[in-house]
Amino acid sequence: MIVATIDVLPGYEVVEVFGLVRGATVRAGHLGGDISALLTNIVGGEVGEYTKLLAEAREQALDRMTAEARALGANGIIGTRFTGTEIASGAAEMLVYGTAVKLLKI
Amino acid sequence: MNRESEHPSRDELLVMAYVDDELVPEQRELLEQRLTQEPELLRQVTAYQKLEVLARHNAPPEPTDLEWERILSSPTHQAGTRTGWTLLCTGLIGLFALGCIATLQADLDALTKALILAPLFGFSVLLSIRFRDRQRLLPYDPYTEVKR
Repeated sequence: MIVATIDVLPGYEVVEVFGLVRGATVRAGHLGGDISALLTNIVGGEVGEYTKLLAEAREQALDRMTAEARALGANGIIGTRFTGTEIASGAAEMLVYGTAVKLLKI
Repeated sequence: MNRESEHPSRDELLVMAYVDDELVPEQRELLEQRLTQEPELLRQVTAYQKLEVLARHNAPPEPTDLEWERILSSPTHQAGTRTGWTLLCTGLIGLFALGCIATLQADLDALTKALILAPLFGFSVLLSIRFRDRQRLLPYDPYTEVKR
């Protein structure tokens, strides 16, 4: 499964378009992580707990999107975009979407 | 050497192919049906998914990461963190217990005491259930292995 942010893949031809596929998740850290993050907020620097939380959400959303594309019979996703927002404090929401396509190597 | 450990079983090969997206739709569907009925097979799938997720991060770490990990693994950091969390958790549990005892012993009528204690215990019960659910679901969540 090729997942790309560009719309045209060099060396491949889009032979079928299946339409929009997306994956979303909202993941929360635990209270311990929030307390550690609070302490980091006081002294500064990267809030590792939230970096990890965001990465978990990103991977999960990506896997959900590729699973949806796979179920449609696609072997590629083009025009992939990530978007995130905040539903609850300390939770990471990640939405990833793209166009599922059947690619043929030229 | 154990011959069995050298050669993966048919199920293991099937699981590996499933995680690597190498099964034809019919095989995939058949395996997904089995996954709903065989927890051991589901555990294997999750284990391989965790490996796959980790494999995406197999690039050599940046020097800053190595330095960060060195600091985090120092005995001072470990001991300080452990002591801090122990004191914090013990204090919070103690305060909760003291609050409950104080409420029970306070010069209040039974209804008021019940109204104060009910949400506290309700919250505790809900938290325990959520914690138990999380513990049970954790083995099937490969994303906990993601670092960044």
